[in-house]
Amino acid sequence: MSFWFWHGLRKGIQTTRYPERAENTPGVSPGRPVNTDFSTDEAAQLAAEICPTDAIVAHGKSTYVNHGKCVHCQLCRYSLRSPMNWEPGYEWSRIPTNQAEAAPLPSAFAKSMHIMVVDAGDCGACLHEVKQLNNPLYNMHRLGLFLTATPRTADVLLVVGPVSENMRGPLLKTWEAMPTSRKVIAVGTCAISGGVFGKSFMCACGVGAVLPVDFEVPGNPPPPLAILHGLLAVAGRKSLKTPTSISEGRL
Amino acid sequence: MPASSSPIAGDGTSALIDLAAALEERFGIEIAKGPANGGFVFTLSLFKPSLLPALCKFMFWEHGCLFGGITAEEQAARWEMHYAFLLPGAGWIDVELSLPIETTSLPSIVAEVHAADWHEREIEDMFGIRFENHPRLGDFILHDQIWREGIEPMRKSFAAGRPPLEHKVDREWQPLLIVGDPGSFAMPVGPVYEGGIGESLHFLLETVGEDVIRAVPRLFYKYRAVEKIAEGRTILDALLLAERFAATSAFAHSLAFCQAVERIGAVEVPRRAAALRVLLAELERMRHHAGAITAICESTALAVSSAQVAIIEENLLRASCVFARHRYLFGLNTPGGLNCEFGLEQCKELLVAVDKAESDLRLLEKRLRFSSSFLDRLEDVGAVTGESARDLNLVGPVGRASAQNCDLRKACPYSGYGRYAFEVPSETEGDGYARLRVLFAEATQSAKLMHQVCAALEEGPVRVSCQVQRAGAALGWTEAPRGAALHWLRVSDEGIVERYRAVTPSFNNWLGFHVAAEDFAFQDFPIILATFGLSATECDR
Amino acid sequence: MAVITAPSLVGIFVVCAGGICFSALLGRKQVPTLLAIAGAFSAVLMVLASAIVLLTGRTFETALWTLNGFGRLTIHLDPLSSIFLLVSGIVYFSISLFLGSFLKNQADETHPHLQFSILYFVLMASVVLILVAGDTVLFLISWECMSILCFLLINYDPRRQRDKSAGYIMLAMSEAGFLAVAIAFLLIARSATDFSFAALRTASAMLSPQALWLPFLLGFFGFGVKAGLVPVNFWLPRSYTAAPAVFIPVFAGITLNLGFYGILRLNTDLMHASYGTGVVALITGSVTALVGILYATTEGDMKTMLAHSSIENAGIIVAALGAFLVFRGFGQPVAAALAISAALYHIVNHSIYKTLLFEGAGHVEAATGTREMDQLGGLAKLMPGLSAIFLVGCLAISAVPPLNGFVSEWMTLQSLLRSAVLASTSVRIVFALCGAALALTAALAVTCFVKIYAMNFLGIRRGAWEPKADPKAFSKFPLAFLAMVCLLLGILPTYVLPVLDRGVEPLAGASITTVLVQPFFTATPYNAQLPAAFLQDFHNLGGQTGQGFVPGRGLVVLLRGLEANPVIFAMSPSYSIVALVFLFVVAWFVVTRLTRRRTLARRPVWAGGIPRLLPILTYTGTGFSNPVRVVFQAIFRPNIIEDTRQTVAVHFRTAIHRQREETPVVDRLLLKPVGTAVQRVAAFLAGMHQGKLNAYVAYVLAFLLLVLFFYRGS
Repeated sequence: MSFWFWHGLRKGIQTTRYPERAENTPGVSPGRPVNTDFSTDEAAQLAAEICPTDAIVAHGKSTYVNHGKCVHCQLCRYSLRSPMNWEPGYEWSRIPTNQAEAAPLPSAFAKSMHIMVVDAGDCGACLHEVKQLNNPLYNMHRLGLFLTATPRTADVLLVVGPVSENMRGPLLKTWEAMPTSRKVIAVGTCAISGGVFGKSFMCACGVGAVLPVDFEVPGNPPPPLAILHGLLAVAGRKSLKTPTSISEGRL
Repeated sequence: MPASSSPIAGDGTSALIDLAAALEERFGIEIAKGPANGGFVFTLSLFKPSLLPALCKFMFWEHGCLFGGITAEEQAARWEMHYAFLLPGAGWIDVELSLPIETTSLPSIVAEVHAADWHEREIEDMFGIRFENHPRLGDFILHDQIWREGIEPMRKSFAAGRPPLEHKVDREWQPLLIVGDPGSFAMPVGPVYEGGIGESLHFLLETVGEDVIRAVPRLFYKYRAVEKIAEGRTILDALLLAERFAATSAFAHSLAFCQAVERIGAVEVPRRAAALRVLLAELERMRHHAGAITAICESTALAVSSAQVAIIEENLLRASCVFARHRYLFGLNTPGGLNCEFGLEQCKELLVAVDKAESDLRLLEKRLRFSSSFLDRLEDVGAVTGESARDLNLVGPVGRASAQNCDLRKACPYSGYGRYAFEVPSETEGDGYARLRVLFAEATQSAKLMHQVCAALEEGPVRVSCQVQRAGAALGWTEAPRGAALHWLRVSDEGIVERYRAVTPSFNNWLGFHVAAEDFAFQDFPIILATFGLSATECDR
Repeated sequence: MAVITAPSLVGIFVVCAGGICFSALLGRKQVPTLLAIAGAFSAVLMVLASAIVLLTGRTFETALWTLNGFGRLTIHLDPLSSIFLLVSGIVYFSISLFLGSFLKNQADETHPHLQFSILYFVLMASVVLILVAGDTVLFLISWECMSILCFLLINYDPRRQRDKSAGYIMLAMSEAGFLAVAIAFLLIARSATDFSFAALRTASAMLSPQALWLPFLLGFFGFGVKAGLVPVNFWLPRSYTAAPAVFIPVFAGITLNLGFYGILRLNTDLMHASYGTGVVALITGSVTALVGILYATTEGDMKTMLAHSSIENAGIIVAALGAFLVFRGFGQPVAAALAISAALYHIVNHSIYKTLLFEGAGHVEAATGTREMDQLGGLAKLMPGLSAIFLVGCLAISAVPPLNGFVSEWMTLQSLLRSAVLASTSVRIVFALCGAALALTAALAVTCFVKIYAMNFLGIRRGAWEPKADPKAFSKFPLAFLAMVCLLLGILPTYVLPVLDRGVEPLAGASITTVLVQPFFTATPYNAQLPAAFLQDFHNLGGQTGQGFVPGRGLVVLLRGLEANPVIFAMSPSYSIVALVFLFVVAWFVVTRLTRRRTLARRPVWAGGIPRLLPILTYTGTGFSNPVRVVFQAIFRPNIIEDTRQTVAVHFRTAIHRQREETPVVDRLLLKPVGTAVQRVAAFLAGMHQGKLNAYVAYVLAFLLLVLFFYRGS
């Protein structure tokens, strides 16, 4: 006979204080490359060339990173000749290029938002990180974010994966089955740009090609806190800065 | 082939010689034995396709070889078919069949080797080669309800980059259901799974209400055609795909891929890099098993235990991130070694986290063992007999829970696994609880291995240059967390991938899932699914 | 008032005779119209005749001619008969109109309308004769007529019939029942002056309670054959299933009731047996109810399922009758009156909603060509009108207020709770167990009728039939009429009970009106029986709501606690329907106000994102009721034969087929052993006849010795 109740109590509170307080435990985020200034144009060019997904763009001596394409291969970090700067942190969510400003859900949803998760061909990492949000360390229930099993009661459609051809129909069906106040959040580089899978006969190159996307969380995979940040942005509890194209590497 | 990657033990060699002699005696001039090549200890070229079933039966049933998989390859004017078999302790054997390009059908081997079922179905779907006497061809990767007939995406003439085809839902389509009880019907589950967060999978549970008679999984909703889009890419770009099609075992798959590349390029990996690869692979295994245990606890609705093991898993993810700068160990493997160096202090720090996780897991196992309500839901649930497991070639913890003790780390060591002492835990009951015990025991063994690696870590480079300058093909294999993973690669002399084939443990084990999911109460379904620990993305690729 | 009754009765027979003649004379096309008009007209006459008797409370009696050796044949329409005649009239009214419209739509030219019409009117006449018979001879003659006509009606269209033996089994069982009933009558008539019921009543009063046991059991199980009681009911589901759709409502709404009439007449009216007989009836009824509902719930054929449900209802009625007999045996007239009025109320209710359901099932079968619930589905969209009416029937039979099933089941269970007044502990235990069985039955009945409604009308079409539109308004009218009656019987029990009271009072010796329907509205002497404090409380609780404008005796059915069990039970479906309507209106108003600014979007059903929800992916009726099968495995005792086919290897299976063989529990436990025993005896006797002279001589000798041994003393 195991006294699970007692074992649970003895563990104490493990949950992060984010978003009230920043979470700085090592390992919560792998970080990501940031816009870096190099000493020469060549070094910047080299840094851009090393990127396998063209996420880094050189412009003069500076390089700009489009995080929607970065697949965290870390080649630019380990590059001996022109390493990019990486920054820690996880507040990465952003709005898609084709939108002028963030359009969160009405304030009525701020403290109670139901999320429908659809796996549209995800590699397992993003989905796993979404799953981590339910563990006691992140516990998104405390913020009024709930997973729901049916699109009928869902407010937010969280999509991971580049949208494989066989999932395109189910994804669209899910979206159509939701109330029209729905918001779509694309989580992970694959969901934003197709990532390493790119555009092919079996891949739709991201959720944006299938559905109107309202929010994006870049990262491959984005750590749980980044996803949480994205969800809070959908709920209107984190405001997103209107991005300038240059800072996001979208030239 | 580098000496370090063909470690054939003494008894293994003699078994190999016996097998060669027996083959000579049985098939005589119908086959030609080729030399060791690209990870295979020898190649058997078969001239008559009609002998294929007999040969496969001979290898699989009479000589205890394990089935690896089938690879079809379209070359300029010929089909090349490779049937991989593993002689435990000795190595991989390639049964090769070369056919004119006009060939449209081949004898099926499913009557002899049931494990070849899905391989043949995949080849039929993707290449259009029919297998005679295969009872279930069609409606596999390209779902018949959506895809029209006659599309063969893996043929060279099919451009991977073409835009998606226009699909029309076939209104006449009916699922193949075999339960004919009066009033029987199929309960559809998925593909947008109704149980919160789950992978995209579709099940048809055949039932007459209450008790499920048979569960039919319908997969490949997540098929991203990794094998097709890898063709024409450079090795490094293809490595990104190999690493990212199944992230929860990313390191194992990228390792297998890198080994194949290293074999083609005839490069030997420095010992330090090999040892660090073992360290990282075991870290991944431990984290994966913690995740699998979380899923099992969740499926039985034992909330506190699943919360606690989820904390262990998250801590291992964080430890991975601190150690390797990525929570899922992306971007570490590269042909020729590792992308970055790890200091001793880092390793020690990792071991502290691993020891903590290991002791927590052991404590948890002890508590679970005394939770009768938990055990009631696992014991005798989803049982797979040893014979079925052998029949269907179940691999990894699932196979080992049913007395299939094959572990590539022992059976065909790679990356220097032969240097370490560890055990391969196995059970004989084959039920959900046996699978759980195997997971716990393997996590402990992984921690033990990591200690050994750190203790014996040699100085030296972590990477050598690996430039592929000649055309060639090779097999790379690892024991991924879910079981044996094979990556077979053919590259051109410019270092461009011509054919890439990944046989994943989930692909093997999904085939065997139906054996466990027969005649069960509906509420046991998530438990059977969780104890199998299958990944759709790893299967679908 | 005989001025009206007599011509009405004569009118019924005249109309029936006219119906027979015109059926023979008119063409095939006109027969349905004739059937509808003549049938409905004579049904109205039945209602008229019986209503007069029930309103005035005066028995109508007249003598016919004298039959040599059997005495006078008399017509005797007392309140008890009138209740049955009234129900028959209501049901016949609906059935006649239903048949008229149904046969009209029968496109098949070969359908033998004429034959059916003639048999229908003859049966109608014989049913009326049974109910108005005042003496044994007329009763038995018309009973026999009715049995044979039922058989002929089942077999009138043999080409459509799947189970040919069903009719013969029914005939054999009816004849066996008839024989038992005839013997029962004769046993009592031995000491009577003539065969009239009045004489039999006097004669049975003279007999000792022990002497009454045999006629009671013979009569009970003899009439039980028609009523569908365990263990003599095995013919019922088979013949209901085999009978043509047009005839089953007659079966369920009319002839089933005759069984109850027989039991009421012979076993409760003509004899005052001891309370032990009541216990037998109570147990038989409870077992019948439970067995009936279990088989109904797991049955997949709509008609067979409704037949099993009839058995269940028969069980409930007989259980209430049993309770009545026990209470009467213990000298508790008030409790007895409650029980028998529950039984009568349930008889009335059952014939109305079961007719409605069978007519609905007939329409469904005609529209789809199938009765298998696993094949049906999605009819609500195709036939919204029929679906709504059928739903009323389902709610009524599931005892959901404010419909009639609730009132009678409430009263039945209340009367079983009155067992505290009984002196014997063992009988009280029997009451408790039977009450539990009936409560379980009621719960399963809900499952059963959720299944029939959901599987037929909701979901999507599972079979290969072509969808047809809603029946025409004229075809739906007979069903809607019965649905309306269901509602009225449900919301106005205080007006129904006094009518039943006319029949109850002579049997129970107490008036149910004074027990259950005390007129609180007017300060009559009845209120004096109740404590003033209680009256005040009751008034404060709203028991006299509407006193100013509701006419008559109020709307609350209330049972004041008896001496031994001073608990008060009350119900008022009349007030609850007002509350219900009010709540609906308020809810509708609030919802429309709140959602004024919202738009309503209709989307296809969510099925996990699959391209198309196929019928094979939806729940079947069998699947819905499978949990009941699993839970009651011990009763069903299925024999499962598994047939699995495979190609290549065990992992490539091509078919799994589990044939389920079930022997109904009654057959298994009772009929099989009896049958085997009879066959053994026959085999033994056959074995004795080997044709050897020596053996026969030995038998004679042995018999002689036996006789001598027994008579050695005398």
